Amino acid sequence: MIRHQIRLAAAAAACFVLAACSGPANMEPPNIDVPTPLPSGIDFEPDIETAPVDESCDPLASYSPGAVTAEQARAQLDDGEQISIGISQSTNLMGYRDPETNALAGFDIDIATAVAEAVLGADANIRWVPMTSNERVPSLDEDRVDLIVRTMTMNCDRWNEVEFSAEYYHAGQRLLVPTASGITGLADLTADHLVCTGNGSTSVRTIAEQSEAQAVTVPDFNDCLVLLQQGTVDAITTDDTILAGMAVQDPTLQVVGDAFSVEPYGIAFQKGNTDLARFVNGALETIIADGTWQAAYDKWLKGPLAVEGAPPGPKYRD
Amino acid sequence: MSVQSPPAQAQAPAPAAGAAPGRRFDRALASLRYTPGQLRGILAVLAALILGAGVTGMTAILAKSAVIEETTGQSGRLSVAALQLYQALSQADATATSSYLTAGTPSDEMNDTYREALRDATVAIATASGEVKTPADTELIAELNARLPVYTGLVESARTFNRLGEPVGATYQEQASTLMREEMLPSAHDLQDNALEQLNESRSDAEAFPWAAAVLAVAALATLVWAQLWLSRKTNRVFNLGLVGATLLLVGFAGWLAFASLASAGHTDRSHEEGAVPLELLAEAEITAQQARAEESLVLIARGEDSDAAERFETHMTALADPGQLLDRLDDAFADDPELSARVDAAREAADTWRSGHDEVIKLAQEGRYTDAVAMAVGDSDTSLWASFRTLNEELTAATEVSADRFAEATADAQRSLSGAAAGLAVLSLAALISAAVGIQLRVAEYYA
Repeated sequence: MIRHQIRLAAAAAACFVLAACSGPANMEPPNIDVPTPLPSGIDFEPDIETAPVDESCDPLASYSPGAVTAEQARAQLDDGEQISIGISQSTNLMGYRDPETNALAGFDIDIATAVAEAVLGADANIRWVPMTSNERVPSLDEDRVDLIVRTMTMNCDRWNEVEFSAEYYHAGQRLLVPTASGITGLADLTADHLVCTGNGSTSVRTIAEQSEAQAVTVPDFNDCLVLLQQGTVDAITTDDTILAGMAVQDPTLQVVGDAFSVEPYGIAFQKGNTDLARFVNGALETIIADGTWQAAYDKWLKGPLAVEGAPPGPKYRD
Repeated sequence: MSVQSPPAQAQAPAPAAGAAPGRRFDRALASLRYTPGQLRGILAVLAALILGAGVTGMTAILAKSAVIEETTGQSGRLSVAALQLYQALSQADATATSSYLTAGTPSDEMNDTYREALRDATVAIATASGEVKTPADTELIAELNARLPVYTGLVESARTFNRLGEPVGATYQEQASTLMREEMLPSAHDLQDNALEQLNESRSDAEAFPWAAAVLAVAALATLVWAQLWLSRKTNRVFNLGLVGATLLLVGFAGWLAFASLASAGHTDRSHEEGAVPLELLAEAEITAQQARAEESLVLIARGEDSDAAERFETHMTALADPGQLLDRLDDAFADDPELSARVDAAREAADTWRSGHDEVIKLAQEGRYTDAVAMAVGDSDTSLWASFRTLNEELTAATEVSADRFAEATADAQRSLSGAAAGLAVLSLAALISAAVGIQLRVAEYYA
């Protein structure tokens, strides 16, 4: 009887030992996808806009400076003592924060500073307002800024919403590729190539219409540079100014081919602020004439774009 | 006890030698008509009941012990590792993003924090992978393990480009944080959820009362009492010492069983209420704060290009500091504990300072005073948001340590209340069995004397 009980107890104890040890005995190794870091919001098959482009106007025609005084221009500032300027602080070479000093710098910043000093004098009180491209038009409507110098292309759609200055820079869409890729222009792109650009930009449509390469869009075009360096995409397309800002950060990349779109950059003002626009057009003429424009171009864009740039000639509607 | 001669009428028929086996059962049934047979029958029933109670009682206690062992052992270690992993990853991202903003020259403290967080994360992954029990958990750990080097690679690229003064570093840092936020932290969270679920299952097992053993013990006791009454009528003797001894031993058995079970259930419950629940809350608060901190830095790193980051900051901050949210729930949980509630109050103060300071940083950034905004967010002055965040973090960590001690204490108490119970119950039931057998055998022997 006692022996029997001992046997029972031993059996019970054995059960527990077994239960405690029955861990992950024969688990298959799991199948894990290769981790590929991607920016949030990346779209490998973006919708391409097909609505006809509004060509009812001459987008380059602004208001002639005439006899508008600085006084009249200042009257159209939100606050006569200071000037609020919408800029980018994330577009290398055009408007960006120097990572070492956190100071604003770039071609757009130099032009904006010169314009602000023309309006308010040499010690102009400038309020820099960083913004994304989608915030540009609303921030003018909401009086958050007086003017915007932020790689903004003049076109008829936008003329309906804002006033533009005369063209201050003549940009165009080009390609940024690895030097070793052998791609030298739009003609070398095939359907197998992935070309990255910012979503909501006209660059998507242009590349889709002029090449059979597959467009990939990201919310912030800076993500394109990382994707190109990681080999996820084969090329980047957008305005040459922006591509130049990427190219200077990586000696293995280069801007190639001719421009395949026309992107005239203008300074934008709230609709109706034509006096301010006229005065700024006068200031732009001065900046171009006295070499300020050329100095800014040479400092920021000449090297990366490898083109002797020349200022655009003004075009006025009246 | 004096041995008397047995009553003559109860003489059992001598078993016929060489009887056919098929007839044994009939004969056993027939023998129940006579007292010795009846006595043996009673002994058989008693033996079965006492043995049953003994084995089920002992196994129930052993099972409880094993389960409590598990809460401090396997499931416990898995849930602790999962929690540490989740915390370490959040901490790494919060520090990496903050240190990016210091223009390539993070403080020693930030560097150390980042490296420690990475060490904690890798140690937690190694610990967790040794403790997993399900294929789903194995997969989660493998995913995390595969992504961690990719994450650190992106962070180091970001730092290098930042040092070289190339703005693309910011994009690398954003991509690293996206990987962390959208793939790694959710996996770590799932792993933690799974581990806690397993732990809760163990806990309800540990708190269950051993009904089978209790019922058997009561039945054995009832049978013993009835047998003694029956025997005293049959034999005109009031006490059978063997059976009395067995009764006392069984009462002891039942008492110990009930006491050990109830006490350990009480301690286990306490370990849950005072340990595990606040620990989970504290960890959640800490992780939420770290994620908010990462988003705050991303707002500045993205140079205004990522408005989602500002929204994500608000979501985290709301979950942490709004009325009725994590800090309030912690306050409720620690209401009658001055040491812990002082910690939570200090954490709350830091969170409030941080929150109002954050609005100031956003305002500065929107006005273009970027340098001031960065200085306020990551500078090492006492008024910077880094200081508030660090205070908040330190208070929550200190509270976590106290809570973890309480959890360990209560679990140890639960374990202690079971100590020796299994062996004791086995000895008691064995002794009861022997005692009953001796008592009854002595009576039976009288018939053959």
